[in-house]
Amino acid sequence: MEHTEHLEHTESPADIKKQIWRTFWILSFLTVIDIVLYFALLSYHSMWKNTLFILLGVVKAFYIVAVFMHMKFERKALAGIIILPFMLVLVLIWLVLIEGGYTFDLR
Amino acid sequence: MANTTTLEAEKKITWGGGKSPFTVSYGKLMMWIFLLSDAFSFSSLLVTYGFIRFTFPASGANEIVKPLSHTAENFVEAMREAHLFSPEHWPLPELVFNHFPFLHGLHLPLFFVSLMTFVLIFSSVTMVLAVEAGHRNAKKEVAFYMLLTIFGGLAFLGCQAWEWTQFITEGASLHGNPFGPTAFAALFFIVTGFHGFHVFSGVVLNFIIYVNVLDGTYERRGHYEMVEKVGLYWHFVDLVWVFVFTFFYLI
Repeated sequence: MEHTEHLEHTESPADIKKQIWRTFWILSFLTVIDIVLYFALLSYHSMWKNTLFILLGVVKAFYIVAVFMHMKFERKALAGIIILPFMLVLVLIWLVLIEGGYTFDLR
Repeated sequence: MANTTTLEAEKKITWGGGKSPFTVSYGKLMMWIFLLSDAFSFSSLLVTYGFIRFTFPASGANEIVKPLSHTAENFVEAMREAHLFSPEHWPLPELVFNHFPFLHGLHLPLFFVSLMTFVLIFSSVTMVLAVEAGHRNAKKEVAFYMLLTIFGGLAFLGCQAWEWTQFITEGASLHGNPFGPTAFAALFFIVTGFHGFHVFSGVVLNFIIYVNVLDGTYERRGHYEMVEKVGLYWHFVDLVWVFVFTFFYLI
């Protein structure tokens, strides 16, 4: 099993636990920020507000993938084959925004 | 110069064949590939939601119902009369998802779904603690944290069942809804249903692993890698919920 050894074994269990709980607090804090912003901006509607919430979601996703799913400690090659293809979704969003504009005008 | 040669040598060791350049086992790599494809499925669903929502004009701002205020029995009819619910424009999520168990008749937007989010984040933490205990081959701890994760998953599913029941009782279905465009309820059921199905599968997988842990399967095997693989899936479910939460309730 030599080729499946992990890089995290250099860290002590206490360190890993500390990191897990730190991530938990970061995620909870970001969720609370979500809720606070939601109520603060309740009567305000714009694309900027939507973008802000999506960006907060992306930050949370980063912490989940990096720490909980251990991506931070894996080889860059693995991170590359998972994250780079996913960036294709941005192309889909871009196309759909253009198409959505036309559909909106037609409705 | 010496530096370049070491780099070259390292490259040859990593990519020269004979071993995985990713330094993860086959099963884990395939779990990652599966999650990538699953992420594409969820992205298409959420982008579809964004697209359809974007093509409907938003309804006017709600200035009638304030958070924590009491709502009348005929809340939905009142909102329709105030033109906040109409088939022509997308309803405001705050007026649709405003219920909380045992607190009937109060306008509580976002409260229940925030609770669901915390339940799922917490179950992700217990999962990662189970993985950490697995690295130390601490069988009892792995079992304990797996059990907590299963309870977290079940709690989340219970919350979702309650929310669906509430939504269906108010008249929402795949082919119609009293809050606005049909697509609104249809997309809600499809996307949260697809996610809920993933949670359900996750709970089933976690349960199988839990039984195996108790049985000592991984203790005999010498490592708890199966816990890690199922853990990856479970965190992915949490990850998707972050975006379902953002798209359906926040924006």
